[in-house]
Amino acid sequence: MKGLRHSRSSSSLPLASSWIHLRSLLIVASATVPDRGSLRSPWSRRKRKHALSHRRWHMLFSSEGKFHDGGIKFIEKVRSGLMGLSAVYERLASLSLDCYDLNSSHTERNVTRVQIRKKYETLRRKCHQLLSHCHKGNRLDTINEVSNSASSCFDEHCEFHDSQDDPSATRNIAEGNLYNFKVDQSVHNGSDLFSLCNLEEIEDEAEIVQFDNYPWGTESSTSDEDEDETESLLGSSISEMFVQHDPKLTRIPSFRGDFTQYNRTSEDFATWQRIIRLDAIRANSDWVVYSLNLTSVTKEKALQSAASVGLKSYEHLDPCMIYHAARMVAVLEAYAVYDPEIGYCQGMSDLLSPILTIMDEDHEAFWCFVGFMRKARHNFRLDEVGIQKQLSTISKIIKCKDLHLYKHLEKLQAQDCFFAYRMVLVLFRRELTFEQTMSLWEVMWADQTAIRSGIRKSARGRIKLRAPPTDDLLLYTVAACVLQRRKLIVERYNSMDEILRECNNMAGTLDVWRLLDDAHDLVTSLHQKI
Amino acid sequence: MAHRVDHEYDYLFKIVLIGDSGVGKSNILSRFTRNEFSLDSKSTIGVEFATKTLQIEAKTVKAQIWDTAGQERYRAITSAYYRGAVGALLVYDITKKQTFDNVQRWLRELRDHADSNIVIMMAGNKSDLTHLRAVSENDGQEFAEKEGLSFLETSALESHNVEKAFQTVLTEIYHIINKKALAAQEAARNSGPPGQGTTIHVVDSSDAGSSKSSCCSS
Repeated sequence: MKGLRHSRSSSSLPLASSWIHLRSLLIVASATVPDRGSLRSPWSRRKRKHALSHRRWHMLFSSEGKFHDGGIKFIEKVRSGLMGLSAVYERLASLSLDCYDLNSSHTERNVTRVQIRKKYETLRRKCHQLLSHCHKGNRLDTINEVSNSASSCFDEHCEFHDSQDDPSATRNIAEGNLYNFKVDQSVHNGSDLFSLCNLEEIEDEAEIVQFDNYPWGTESSTSDEDEDETESLLGSSISEMFVQHDPKLTRIPSFRGDFTQYNRTSEDFATWQRIIRLDAIRANSDWVVYSLNLTSVTKEKALQSAASVGLKSYEHLDPCMIYHAARMVAVLEAYAVYDPEIGYCQGMSDLLSPILTIMDEDHEAFWCFVGFMRKARHNFRLDEVGIQKQLSTISKIIKCKDLHLYKHLEKLQAQDCFFAYRMVLVLFRRELTFEQTMSLWEVMWADQTAIRSGIRKSARGRIKLRAPPTDDLLLYTVAACVLQRRKLIVERYNSMDEILRECNNMAGTLDVWRLLDDAHDLVTSLHQKI
Repeated sequence: MAHRVDHEYDYLFKIVLIGDSGVGKSNILSRFTRNEFSLDSKSTIGVEFATKTLQIEAKTVKAQIWDTAGQERYRAITSAYYRGAVGALLVYDITKKQTFDNVQRWLRELRDHADSNIVIMMAGNKSDLTHLRAVSENDGQEFAEKEGLSFLETSALESHNVEKAFQTVLTEIYHIINKKALAAQEAARNSGPPGQGTTIHVVDSSDAGSSKSSCCSS
């Protein structure tokens, strides 16, 4: 309990100052954001007028740090897009609220905060082991070895197998046959189970995981003094994180059936490590302005963090971006260990990057990301069931709304809406600016949270939202985006390729508020049919 | 929109850009089509494409180049785009041996999903990074000869051989098509009904979307 006391006693002073710092930073940032007044969406005006103030934000909570009303008011605010630029600070909350019970108190969140930090550190230790394992033997020769290690870290004993003496495996890889990793996994008894229970683990985490975000005023820094306490709270073995808790098999009906397909992948942990590093150094540098601490990163600190995760080829980057890249590697690797069914898929870095930008602590960002991925992970599944389902929903929305457009798409054999693949997969990250991305994501988050916590449409809201909350707001938004271009598509595009190109070139041309307006109209008129 | 469908070309050739993640496919494409290069270009999600029109032996050829995601995970989606491709640029990174070792797998992918007559150029990219070289030009050349591929080392950064690589592929395709057309004319003259050799699928978007889920197990 020493750790808990420690974290509670040193409460909000540093945060108060960082709050002010962030506010001033955002005022600077806001000057560079295009004036939304020139855009027609009524939302933009409403948003500015009624944005949630810092004072109002605090008024939502009781002295124990609980939402007075279970979070209803807050979620309504977010759903109607009223967070506004000035409320980025609270955005930390909206993202992180995904990770714990809306009804939790300050103290309850403190307890779990310690737990999840410890859990994250355990995952990171595992990554370090895997990395040093990989470096020991140099590149190709050890991929198989690392693969075995990667799979073994989910087996009960959590010990590394040493397969260095297995030349056949190495040869397989050199010849391009990397299938042995998954085959190895199936040798581990119940490897498909580990994925299932791991999914379950994620679901569990979503319910129990809670951590403090700044608005509640606890310190966010980590302390070594906590170590012993948390160790005993958690147990020392990573395997505990993957204990099976009565898996809800129905949640992923196709997974078992598709195990052969799962097997066919050649990806292993070493591959993920490699690609994660590739993508980490390709993050958006124009986001630095939104980050609280990136601008102040010294070269020394950046190099240190890069070395700690084995990052290379970053010579062309500024210290702040090297630091950001190193954090990306740390969190994405931990996620690959945490959720090996998904591991790492390109595009996931797009989802993490904004979260990391606004969160200073890696472990907080990690659990935010886990909460975020709970829905998004299905898009990255190997069997593509998740993404196909989403694209077909978009297709259905378009069909219901605009049969003429749908028929045109059919004629071009584009009715499967594959052209929207990227928008769905990375949630408009490639099309929108940082600020717009956060706005869209938090409205989406609020819809999903409203459903999860049983909050229905309320007439008390300042803006009476006609649309009920939906889990599929993203898909309605994509459909809205396509429908906004219906004239162009119907009159001028004669092939799927042209639509795909249009979709791939949308960056910088979208008005997120108008999109959300249109999406909500679609939800209102179609949600019962879809 | 600027991208009005035009018919100011004699041929439209579909080319696919394939190879491991991070070898520089997107930069090769942007260098070729827009003369741009970016050190922090994002990973390609799914597929993207760009076009460029150029002259080949007095004919106007429009190259439609499909840039694909390199990660294994996207293979099922990207391989759907091999259909209708008459050329492929198979890229590896000369500083990463593994990307060269994987060329064999990419060839298998092409054999499984693309037209058997597809013209393939292997490109060892990042040739400017001589101090980090892990694959010798000789090894690349030998491999290409063994597999019957064209080969060039390229540098998207220095704009070295990028144009030449595409030009080579497109010229070769043009020659094959010309030959086929001649043979078809010949056949038509001899036997009456049009020969099958005249059907050249250069753009086949109809296949692209519908067969994404096809399994690519080998």
